[in-house]
Amino acid sequence: MKLKLNFMEAAGAAMVLGLAFVAIFAPLLAPHDPTRAVAASFGDPWPPSRAFPLGADQLGRDVLSRIIYGARISLIVGVAAMAITLAIGVAIGLAAGFLGGAVDSLLMRFTDVMLTMPALLLAMALVTVLHPGLLTVLLVIGLVSWTQVARVVRAEALSISRRDFVVAARALGATRTRLIIRHVAPNVMPIIVVMAALGVSGTLLLDAGLSFLTLGVPPPTPSWGRMIEESTAYFRTAPWLAIFPGLAILYAVMGFNLLGHGYLRRRRRDASNR
Amino acid sequence: MDARVEFPARPMRARAALAAMAFALALSACRAGSPAPIFPPGAQVLHLASLDDIPTLDPAAGYDVDSWMFEQMIFDTLIRYSDSGVDLVPDIAASWTASPDSTVFTFHLRRDVRFSNGRAVASADFKYAIERVLDPKTRSKGMEYYRGIAGAADFAAGRANSVAGIETPDPWTIVFRLSAPDPIFPHKLAMPFAAAVPREVVARYGEDFSRHVVGSGPFMLRQWIGGQRLVLVRNPDYFVKGVPRLDGVVEAIGVNEDLQWFRFETGAIDLSAIPPAVFPYVIKTSRLKALTMRIVTMTTRYLGMNCQMPPFTDVRVRRAMNYAIDKRKLVAVINGRGIPANGVLPPSLPGYDPDLRGYPYDPARARGLLENAGYPHGFTATVWLPADQTMMILAQSVQQDLALVGVQLKLKPVGFAPLLDAIRQPRTVPLFFSGWEADFPDPANFLDVLLSRAQWGANNDSWFYDPRFDALLAKAKPLADPARRFALYREAQRIAVADPPWVFLYFPVTWQIRQPWVHGLVLNPMRPARLDRVWLSPHPSPK
Repeated sequence: MKLKLNFMEAAGAAMVLGLAFVAIFAPLLAPHDPTRAVAASFGDPWPPSRAFPLGADQLGRDVLSRIIYGARISLIVGVAAMAITLAIGVAIGLAAGFLGGAVDSLLMRFTDVMLTMPALLLAMALVTVLHPGLLTVLLVIGLVSWTQVARVVRAEALSISRRDFVVAARALGATRTRLIIRHVAPNVMPIIVVMAALGVSGTLLLDAGLSFLTLGVPPPTPSWGRMIEESTAYFRTAPWLAIFPGLAILYAVMGFNLLGHGYLRRRRRDASNR
Repeated sequence: MDARVEFPARPMRARAALAAMAFALALSACRAGSPAPIFPPGAQVLHLASLDDIPTLDPAAGYDVDSWMFEQMIFDTLIRYSDSGVDLVPDIAASWTASPDSTVFTFHLRRDVRFSNGRAVASADFKYAIERVLDPKTRSKGMEYYRGIAGAADFAAGRANSVAGIETPDPWTIVFRLSAPDPIFPHKLAMPFAAAVPREVVARYGEDFSRHVVGSGPFMLRQWIGGQRLVLVRNPDYFVKGVPRLDGVVEAIGVNEDLQWFRFETGAIDLSAIPPAVFPYVIKTSRLKALTMRIVTMTTRYLGMNCQMPPFTDVRVRRAMNYAIDKRKLVAVINGRGIPANGVLPPSLPGYDPDLRGYPYDPARARGLLENAGYPHGFTATVWLPADQTMMILAQSVQQDLALVGVQLKLKPVGFAPLLDAIRQPRTVPLFFSGWEADFPDPANFLDVLLSRAQWGANNDSWFYDPRFDALLAKAKPLADPARRFALYREAQRIAVADPPWVFLYFPVTWQIRQPWVHGLVLNPMRPARLDRVWLSPHPSPK
C-alpha cells in the first residue's frame, strides 16, 4: 500500500515527530538539568542570552531545558490521556450504538449528564479529591473527555449496524460479539483515528490548563502550563518566561491538529473519489 | 499582629498594602445620584488601596493587620507604641506605675479626652472594654490576653458581674491586679482589644458596632461600603493638638498588588506595596528607590519539622535539614526582602541574640549528618504549605536544595485554614512552612508560645519538648528586669537552635513605596503604620 500524505498531514506528522524526538532525547538535548538552579537569576529572571537561549527563571532554572523536558509530560499526557479517553468513549459508544434500546438510552442520557458539566471544572474537582500526580492527571483527563468520543462513535455504530452487510452477517448467524468485533468496530475505526488525533490537542490544552491552575503534575517535574503560571507575576518585566512555554503549547497543539485535520480531509477526498 | 502569619506575603500586604483611587469616589457618586463629595477641593486626603475588605473595625473582634490599622486610627488605648519603635508611650494614660512584683499596674488618665460623640472618656470605659473582651458572648480572640487579671475567670464563667481585679477608684484612675506576676502586662493594654469603647454606642448597635464605631482617636469613620471603600475623616476634637494633619483617608478595596502598582504609577494612590516582579526595577531606578521605605518586622519564617514523626525524631536529621537549605538563595528569590535567620528570635525584637551563629549553608555537612543518622541515600518527605504562588516558588527552592543531599521533597499545597488545623493534630504533618509575627516585643511571645510543652496541640506545631528549655522559660517569665530576663531567654533559644525543631529560614523585611508628596510616614516593626502625623505637599490631583 502506498501511503500518500497531503501537506497538512505531512506538516502535522513532522511536528509531532519533532515533539516526540525532543521528548525522547530530552536528556541529550537539554543543556542543563531542568530542576536545578544553574543561573544566579534568583528573584530577577534573566532575559535570553547565549548561555541561556530562552532566559533563566526566578529560581535560576534554564527555561530552554525546562521546555525540552516539559515536552515529555505534554506528550505522555496527550497520548496516554487520549488512550484512556478512547477506551472509555469507544466502549460506551459501541455498546450504545450497536445494542440500542434501553442500553442506548441509559448510556446516552448518562453521557448527556456528563456533558453538562464543564470539563475543566470537573477535572479540577477530581484532581482536588484525588492525590495530584501524573497518573491522576491522566485518569482525570480521560474521565472528563470521553463524552464527545462516545457520541460520535455511537452515531457511527448505529448507522453501520443497520447496513446490509451487518444485517447479512446477522442472518448468517453471527454472534453479537462477532458482529461488533468483525463488522462494526473496523468500520468505526477511521472516525476514531480522527477523534484521537484531534483529541490529543484537546487533552494537551486541558493538561496545560490544569497545570496553570497548579493542579497538574506537581513540581519539580517541569510542565509548560505550570511554567506559565509561575511566571504570571513577572509578565510585565520578564515576558519571555511565559511566551516560550506558550509557544511550545501552541506548537504541540498545532501539530496534532494538522495531523487530524489532514487525515480527515484525505478521507473526505477519498470518499468522494470512490 | 498575632500571630500565625500567612506565609509568605499576607501579613506584609496589609501593612504595606495601601493605596487608593479617586475615581472610585466619582464612580460611586454617580451610582448614588451625585451626593455632595465628602472632601472639599484641596483637602489633604491620603489614598490607599487593598485587596480584601477590612474584616472589622470593632476592637474586641479585630485580630489582623488590616483591622488593626484602622482600629488604631479610630480608637485610643491607655498606652501605645511609639511611631517607629516598640517602646510604650502614653496614649490616654498620662502616666503609669507597676508594683515591684509586677502584679499591680496603676494608670492615670488624661482628663481632656472625649469620644467623637462628645462624651468624656473615663476609666470605666477601659474597664468596660476589657470586660467586653472577656465576656464569652463577645467571642473575642483577645480573651486570652486578659485572663491573668484577678477575677477574670469568675467573670468569664458568669460567677461575677464585673472583673474584681480591675478597679476604677475615680474616673481618671484605673488599677489592674493580676493573679500572677506578668511584667509584660502593659503590652497587652497596648493592643487594640483594650481600647476605650463607649458602652452606650455598643449597647445601641450590638454586633453591628463595627459599622458604627465611635472612638476617641485621630480619625472617625465616615463611610464604609463593603467590598468597595472605607473613608475616614479627621476628628477635629482629637486630644493631641494639630493632629491629625490629614483631612481624611480613603481606602479602596478590591485592588490587588499588581493593580496597586499601576495606580501608584499614575499617581492615583499615595502608598503602595511593591510587587515582586517590579521590585528589581524599583531598586535599580534611583528616583523610585528614594521613595521606598523598609522595616525589619518582628516576624520569623520557618520550615517546621514534626519532632514526633520519623525521620525528624532524630536531631541529626533536623540539623542536616538546617545545613542543607540555602537561606541566602531563598532571600534572593524574594528579591532580598529578608534576612537569613540565625534562630527563633528576629533582630528587631528586644532580646535578639546577635552572637547566635545558626546554621550556615553546608550541604556536605548535611550529607554527613544524614549518613550518621542512617540515611546515606536520604529519604522522601512531604511538606505542607499554603497554596500560594510565591510560597510554591520558595518551596521549589527548598526542594532543589534538599535534592542535592538526597532528600526528595513532595509538595502538598493546602488552604491556610486547613493547614493550621492539620499542624495541630499529633503526628499528621511531618514538614510545613509557617511563620510567626510578634504580638508583643518580648521573647516569650516566640519561645513560650511556639515551643513550650504547654502549647502542644495549639501553637507548638513542631511538637518540640525539652525540659531544660521549659525550665528556663518558667524562670524568665516573672522577671521584670530586661537584662536578666533576656539572658535566660537567650539561653533557652540556644537550646532550641542546637536541637532545632525548625529550619530557621528568614526574617522578612517589609518594603513600601510612597509618592514624593507624602511626608511624615514612619513604619513600625510590629504594628501597622500610624497615619496621624502624615501630611501631603501640593501635588497634581489624580484623574
